[in-house]
Amino acid sequence: MLKKRILFSLLLLVMTAYCLGPLLWQFITSIKPTVELTKLPPLLPDRPTIGHYISIFTGHPFLRIMGNSMAVASLTTLLSIVIGSLAAFGLAKLRVRYKAIILLFILSVSMFPPIATVSPLYLIIRALGLRDTWWALIITYTTFSLPLSIWILTSFFREVPDEIYLAARVDGCSPFQAFYKIMLPLAAPGLFTTAILVFIFSWNEFLFALTFTSTASARTIPVAIALFPGLHEIPWGDIAAASVVVTIPLVILVFAFQKRIIEGLTAGAVKG
Amino acid sequence: MTNRDSGQRFVTPALLLLALVTVYPVLSVLYLSLHRKLLIFDISRFVGLENYLFLVRDDRFWNALGNTAYFTLFSVVLELVLGLSIAMLLHREFRFKGFVRAVVLIPWAIPTVVSAKMWEWMYNTDFGILNYLLGAEVNWLGSPLWALNAAVFMDVWKTTPFVAILLMAGLQVIPRELSQAARIDGAGSWDVFRKVTLPLLKPVILVVLIFRTLDAFRVFDSVYVLTGGGPANTTETLSIYAYKVLFQTLQFGYGSTLSVVVFLCVGMISVVYIKLLSKGTK
Amino acid sequence: MARGAIGTGVFLLLLPLLILGCAQGEKQDTGASERVRLVFKHGRIAGDPRLFHQLLRDFEQQNPGITVVDETLPSSTDEQHQFYIINLEGSSADFDVLSMDVIWIPEFARAGWLRDISHLMPLQERGKFFPGPMQAVTYRDRVYAIPWYTDAGVLFYRKDILKKHGFSPPKTWQELVATARAVIDKEPGLYGFIWQGKQYEGLICNVLEYFWSNGGEVLKNELPVINSPENIEALRFMRDLLVTYSITPPLVTTAIEEPTRHIFGNGRALFMRNWPYAWNIFEQEGSPVRGRVGVAPLPSFPGKTSASTLGGWQLGVNRYSRNPEAAEKLILFLTSPTVQKTLARTIGYKPTRTSLYRDQDLVREQPFITGLHDIFMQARPRPVSPYYMMITQVMQPEFSAALAGIKTPEEALNAAQKQIEHILGVER
Repeated sequence: MLKKRILFSLLLLVMTAYCLGPLLWQFITSIKPTVELTKLPPLLPDRPTIGHYISIFTGHPFLRIMGNSMAVASLTTLLSIVIGSLAAFGLAKLRVRYKAIILLFILSVSMFPPIATVSPLYLIIRALGLRDTWWALIITYTTFSLPLSIWILTSFFREVPDEIYLAARVDGCSPFQAFYKIMLPLAAPGLFTTAILVFIFSWNEFLFALTFTSTASARTIPVAIALFPGLHEIPWGDIAAASVVVTIPLVILVFAFQKRIIEGLTAGAVKG
Repeated sequence: MTNRDSGQRFVTPALLLLALVTVYPVLSVLYLSLHRKLLIFDISRFVGLENYLFLVRDDRFWNALGNTAYFTLFSVVLELVLGLSIAMLLHREFRFKGFVRAVVLIPWAIPTVVSAKMWEWMYNTDFGILNYLLGAEVNWLGSPLWALNAAVFMDVWKTTPFVAILLMAGLQVIPRELSQAARIDGAGSWDVFRKVTLPLLKPVILVVLIFRTLDAFRVFDSVYVLTGGGPANTTETLSIYAYKVLFQTLQFGYGSTLSVVVFLCVGMISVVYIKLLSKGTK
Repeated sequence: MARGAIGTGVFLLLLPLLILGCAQGEKQDTGASERVRLVFKHGRIAGDPRLFHQLLRDFEQQNPGITVVDETLPSSTDEQHQFYIINLEGSSADFDVLSMDVIWIPEFARAGWLRDISHLMPLQERGKFFPGPMQAVTYRDRVYAIPWYTDAGVLFYRKDILKKHGFSPPKTWQELVATARAVIDKEPGLYGFIWQGKQYEGLICNVLEYFWSNGGEVLKNELPVINSPENIEALRFMRDLLVTYSITPPLVTTAIEEPTRHIFGNGRALFMRNWPYAWNIFEQEGSPVRGRVGVAPLPSFPGKTSASTLGGWQLGVNRYSRNPEAAEKLILFLTSPTVQKTLARTIGYKPTRTSLYRDQDLVREQPFITGLHDIFMQARPRPVSPYYMMITQVMQPEFSAALAGIKTPEEALNAAQKQIEHILGVER
């Protein structure tokens, strides 16, 4: 029995190291002075430095870029929740023509390869004069996150008993009032779960951001990290520092809300 | 009991947006793929199926298709095996379970670009931690033998958590009594796993497979950032090839042809899986 | 009942207004300023950024009413190119002055993205620049940019080690192989010859030097001739450097400039092909190879002439710029003899004006610059074609495949020939 427990703990340890090791190494890299980056061993820096962190915030519009990411991800989350919850409520509780087809359509949209839509979207965005703006990303992300939002929220709305909705209607609420006064608060946990997932998706997206933005005025974090400026070389220390900075919000989100995230992921997959 | 109220108008905004931002572009790509369109020199003319005919003879396309298939197959299989192991490991009560689950989620949550840059640095031949720990001098990203595998390993690290989480949820649904009963009948752990757990987990496994296969087949950002498609295009996937044609040289005609092909492949994979899934549930 | 629908309807109607509102707000911001605000896009500037910013401040002082904002682009030239084409294709007026790699100008000029600045460059002015860069900025007899600083591939070697073993710098590739082989047999841990072999634009620069120094070409009279026997022989030789002669370590197939410069700079290689910028770093205080590095023209195949690929950057004006006159002033300033001299002395950018190679201060501080003059005079531009960027996208993976041994040199070059014919066939 003891042997089994030791084995179990050992396996847990291996797994934790596997999951966190790369991040830890990135952190160590970020506090190594540039000259020590091209030396291994030692594993740990002789003279740890926060120089790379200073460098990304001074020599590079990193704050602005983080602001872009924050704004794009928040606004996308908001829009996706609003439009998604309306649709999910309609699909879960009301009479909708061709409901099965609509659900199938939404599911199949989630399978669309982004590469197949990026060039026409680029042409549309250029024609609308939205190139290199937040809106180019917000509109795209909102749409691409809709299938996920609708899927998760529908499963949450389904769990709310029909009687509650009917009671609200009998009391004189319009369907819309019943939706936002009664149903929405009841589905709040679902909204929250969806919001986290949509936020993470928008925070991390790369292909559209790479294509639709080009300057610090709308560029988001993933693109900035992928295209870090360097001269004949890749500035590994700065990249590591930037990675650590942008990962921190996500680590906090994950540790604070792991239950919700797992709930959302599984609602989106297992129940469907 | 269903409701009598109409929900049409609740659904309309979402449908409009989906139609505008996903359906219209796909139709438009179909149209563009029949043109020779060089955006920068204002060249645009209808060429019928010429792009598709060139595609059939295009070695680079077949190479990209092969790379994509290899990447998809190996990453999905490895993720499934590893994800199942993690799910089995965590499917019990122990202290710090919440903490450990959060730890598992972290690779999934961090931006793909960050993970690609991280692995690129770890794969560095001279100063990379991987070669240091292995005591090797493997040219991970430079050798045509290793580069695609290196991309697979990175993807496995990044997405195994997703697989594990879904499988864990699947395991929770299986009643404990079943495996206990089997044990009482004298079955070993392996038998219980093979004869009881696995069959009951099959629908969840299929769902996981659908998600992961489609994601892996569409792979762009991780590999694009890790290797850019090199060395010698041994890591160039279909999406990367299409992207390069579209946006490095703005050849929207042929680039669209490649996009259409990615779209068709994804469609075919979905159909196959959905057939499998509906067979499984019957 | 209908309020839900109205609500969503109003929201959807407001959405475009919101968007427009934002866009207009931004425009007013830039239009409101009285001063002319120039945006200058460039790759990362070597050395201390303050030196460069001081130059921009000097310009502002000489030209009251103009402010210059400079913005740095991603490191790789391929990524910078993508930035420019996407923005210029979108008729972006977000930047006024752009620094361009030599290979982009025919493409940008053909696409109509660059302001014709021939009037700034009368014939006698053009004669003051190296011929290679001048050729690169000229498209159909019009000038679209001014060469800013120049670059060409050179051979770095360890003076001390060659001397110790009684060798002189090689004139032919075969001599280089023999010398490197002999030396590394006696000096374990030393790499023979390193260069840039990753699948990227730098690989093309390297490979072309072998093609040209064997009498080969990529395009002749605008037709592809890339699978010629000379080119096949040259590419096979490069593969042999890795496998048969094994004087080049496999890490070269992933290397760009800086990793090779680090290795050479730490004293771990005998020969290196690189750009002249590396010399200034080797001669810095604390460098392990200080005073031990020699620079020579690249070798050639027997009986042929040595060739280096022309690199370097040029400054042009965005056709959509709202302040073209001010932008012209800035590029004239940055390419003036004084500024080129300052840039050469502070951060080692090599001037494009030939007269500076006789400048007393420069020659005293950087004696090897006189030797570079002849190399720059001879440096050859990569195939000058508006389709160059599509051609290089074809060549990069094929060359990479040949070096990696996935394809034979014949297979790789035949495949490249076929694809380039397809690309150029567009117009015919």
